[in-house]
Amino acid sequence: MVLGQLASRALLRSRTSAHRHILRRAIVSTPDLHNSEPAVAAAPEPDLPPRKPVAGARVHFPNPDDAIEVFVDGYPVKIPKGMTVLQACVVAGVDIPRFCYHDRLSIAGNCRMCLVEVEKSPKPVASCAMPALPGMKIKTDTPIAKKAREGVMEFLLMNHPLDCPICDQGGECDLQDQSMAFGSDRGRFTEMKRSVVDKNLGPCVRFATEVAGVQDLGILGRGSGEEIGTYVEKLMTSELSGNVIDICPVGALTSKPFAFKARNWELKGTETIDVTDAVGSNIRIDSRGPEVMRIVPRLNEDINEEWISDKTRFFYDGLKRQRLNDPMIRGADGRFKVVSWRDALAVVAEVIHKNKPEEIVGVAGKLSDAESMIALKDFLNKMGSNNIWCEGNGPNPNADLRSGYIMNTSISGLEKADAFLLIGTQPRVEAAMVNARIQKTVRATNAKVGYVGPPADFNYDHEHLGTGPETLTELAEGRHPFNSALSNAKNPAIILGAGIFERKDKEAIFSVVETIAKKINAVRPDWNGLNVLLLNAAQSAALDLGLVPESEKSIESAKFLYLMGADDLNLEKLPEDAFVVYQGHHGDRGVYRANVILPASAFSEKEGTYANTEGCAQTTVPAVPTVGDARDDWKIIRALSEVAGVTLPYGSLGAIRSRIKTVAPNLLLADEREPAVFSSSDLRPEVKEKMDKAPFGTAVENFYMTDAITRASKIMAQCSALLKK
Amino acid sequence: MASTVKYVRVPPPSANIAEARKRVFEFFKTACRSIPTIMEIYTLDDVVTPTKLRSTITSEFRKNAHVTNPQVIDMLLIKGTEELSNIVEHAKQRHHIIGQYVLSREDSNQETKDEGTSDFLKSFYKGNYV
Repeated sequence: MVLGQLASRALLRSRTSAHRHILRRAIVSTPDLHNSEPAVAAAPEPDLPPRKPVAGARVHFPNPDDAIEVFVDGYPVKIPKGMTVLQACVVAGVDIPRFCYHDRLSIAGNCRMCLVEVEKSPKPVASCAMPALPGMKIKTDTPIAKKAREGVMEFLLMNHPLDCPICDQGGECDLQDQSMAFGSDRGRFTEMKRSVVDKNLGPCVRFATEVAGVQDLGILGRGSGEEIGTYVEKLMTSELSGNVIDICPVGALTSKPFAFKARNWELKGTETIDVTDAVGSNIRIDSRGPEVMRIVPRLNEDINEEWISDKTRFFYDGLKRQRLNDPMIRGADGRFKVVSWRDALAVVAEVIHKNKPEEIVGVAGKLSDAESMIALKDFLNKMGSNNIWCEGNGPNPNADLRSGYIMNTSISGLEKADAFLLIGTQPRVEAAMVNARIQKTVRATNAKVGYVGPPADFNYDHEHLGTGPETLTELAEGRHPFNSALSNAKNPAIILGAGIFERKDKEAIFSVVETIAKKINAVRPDWNGLNVLLLNAAQSAALDLGLVPESEKSIESAKFLYLMGADDLNLEKLPEDAFVVYQGHHGDRGVYRANVILPASAFSEKEGTYANTEGCAQTTVPAVPTVGDARDDWKIIRALSEVAGVTLPYGSLGAIRSRIKTVAPNLLLADEREPAVFSSSDLRPEVKEKMDKAPFGTAVENFYMTDAITRASKIMAQCSALLKK
Repeated sequence: MASTVKYVRVPPPSANIAEARKRVFEFFKTACRSIPTIMEIYTLDDVVTPTKLRSTITSEFRKNAHVTNPQVIDMLLIKGTEELSNIVEHAKQRHHIIGQYVLSREDSNQETKDEGTSDFLKSFYKGNYV
C-alpha cells in the first residue's frame, strides 16, 4: 500500500518543476526526529504499569547465578547471561522490528532493522547481534531509534521494485507491514526503480544450511547486485525446501503452486494436522470457499517446531483430483454405475450376510482416523469376523505393548540423545520432521549416527554400519566397531523403522534390538531410547485400538473384503470371486478391484483423531466441505451397520469417542503425549525363530508419493519426476 | 398462444358431483396427453420417464381424493388447469419442473421406504451435514 503511494509520488515528482521538486524534497521525515541528540535519560518511574513478554515468551535460566538485570525503556528485566539485546526486549514486552533475525537460526545482523539506542553508546546498536550486559539501559522508543529505523526502511525500499500490487506476499509481507509501522512517508530515491528481481536478507540461506542441511541455496554477488539463487541452475533437493517461503520476510521466495492464486485476506485458516506421514505435523489449511488454497505450518515445539516437509506443504492439489463423489456399483459389464446411498448400502448389506464370518475381512487405510477404525472393528466384530487390520502394520502386529510401536523418546526428546542407531529406516523420507530433529541434534552436539539398512541419502554425517540383520547380531554381541560409540553415549537412541513390521522375522529382529538396547543401557527409568518410527498417520491409533488380524492368511481366504481407504494392499492373492467394497476419497489402486465404491471425506473435510508416531493424539478440523455426495468415514460404517441389521450403538462423534475411551483412553487426550507405561523388553515372550539373512528394504520408495492423496497430486508427480532426473 | 389462455373462460359451476367427476377425468386425460410435449420442451428425457410423470400427475389428483364438494372440485380444477397451461406454455423453467415434479417425488417415494430406520440413517441419506 505504502509502496503504491510511493509509486504515485515518484511519478508526480518526475513531472513537477524543479522548484517544486526541491520544496517537496525538503520534507523528509517527521520534523521532531531531526534533533538527533541522544534522548535525555529519564529516571525510571517506580509505578510503571507491568508489561507482558511478547507472545508469551518465557525465560529459561540454566544457571540462576547468571541472571543479569537490564532496563528496557526504564523497565527492569531479569535475563540470563548471554541473551541478546533483542531477546531482552522481547522478555520486557517490546517487539523490535526485524527482518534477518529468526529465533531458530543463527544471527546474521545484516538487515539493521532492529537498531535500538543504548545509553552511553555513541551509535544505535543492532539489537539482534549485541549481547545484553548487566545494567544496560536500552531505549527502543526514542527519536534516535525511530530515525534509525526510518533510515533503514528507506534504504531497503530504495531498491525494492514497485510491484506490491502483483506480489504474492501482498497482505502478509513483513516489509509491507514494517514500512507501514516504522517507515517514513516518503523516500528520496529519484532514479528509475528496477522491477521484479529482489534483494535478500538471507534467513532462507541460513535455514537451508542449518535446518534443512543442504548447501544449495546461496547469496550470489555483493552489495546491490546481491541475489539469492541456487548455485548453478540446480534444484534445491531438500525435503524441507518449502520452509524458505515462510521464513522469507518479503516476497522474494514464494510458493510456486500458490503463485497468483489467492490473496491472504480472502483465505480462511483452519488449524489442523497433517496426515501424510506419522509425524502429525501441525498445519494450517488456508481455504477459499470449497477449495484448499495452501498449507502452512503451525508452531508446535514438540512435533514440528515451525517447519513442515515439502510433501505436507504441496500435496494439497491432490485433494481436488481423482475424487470419488458418488456411491457406485460395478455392473455386469465391468463398468461402474452411479447409484444412491440407499441402493449401495443395501447391496453391501445383502452381500455381507451371504458370507461366512471368517471370510469377512476389513482393512483400514493409511489415512484412517481412530473414529472410523473403531467403527469398522465394531461392525465387523458384530458380523462375527475379527480379521481387521491397518495397512502398514504387517500381517502379525504386536499391539499388546504400546512401547513396542511408538517413539518412546518422543520427537523433541531426540534432541537430548547423543548417539543414534537407525535400523532399517531412512527418516529423511519416512518422517522428514523427525529427520530435521536428528539433523539439529547432530549439528548442535556432534552426536554420532549409525545406520543399518540399504544405502540411503542422509543430510548429516553418519556411519553406514551394514545392510542386514547380521550387523545387528554383531552389535548385540559387541563385536562391531560402532559399539564403543553407543556404549559411551549417555543417552543413546535406537530408531527402528516400521518397514520391519512387514518382515516375517520381525519378532527376532525386535528381540535382537532389545538386546542391543540392554547392552548400551538405552532403556532406563529416566531415558527410554528404544523407538519405532512409524510410516503412516493411522498406524499408531490402529494398534492402540487393537486392529490385529486373527489369521495371517486372511486375504487368501477372503470372500468379502472391506477396504476403508486401503490402497497399498497386495490384492493378487485375493480370490477371484471375492466381493470388494472400497470406502475412500480417491479413486486410487483399491478402486480397480472394487465392486462397490462408497465415497468418503478426506482428512481436510472431517473431524478425526490421529495418533502420531510418538503417541500424541491430535484431531483434524474440517476446513472445506466434502466433495459431491461423500460422507464421513465413521458415518458410512454406522449407516451400513444399521442397514445390515447390526446397528452400532453410537450415532454421534461424542458417542463414538466415549466408545474409544473404553478401548484406548490415550486417544482422547488431544495434543498431549501419553508415554507408554511398560517397557516391552521384560514382558515379551522369548523368541525362538531365527533372523532372516535378507537385508532391510526401503520402506518409502518415493518420498513425494506415499498415499492416495499424494499420488493424485500433480505437484507431487512433478516433484518426483524432477528428483528422478 | 398466451392470449388464448388469458381469455379462457371459467366454466359454469358443476351442478352435481357426477358432473364434477366427469370434468376431473377430462382434465386428467388432457394432462396425460400433454406429457410428451412437456418431456420435449423441458428436455426431461434423461431425468424422468413419461410413466413416472404420469404417476406424478396421478398422485397430485389423489392428494384431493377426499374432496366431495363439487364447488371445491371446480376450484381445484381451475387451479390445475392454470398450472398445466403454465407448464405447457413454457412459462416455467426446467429446474421448476424437475424440482417440483421429479426430485421431490423421489424423496417422498423413498421416505415411505425409510420407515423404521433411525434418525441417524435418515439424515445420513440426506447429506453429510444434516
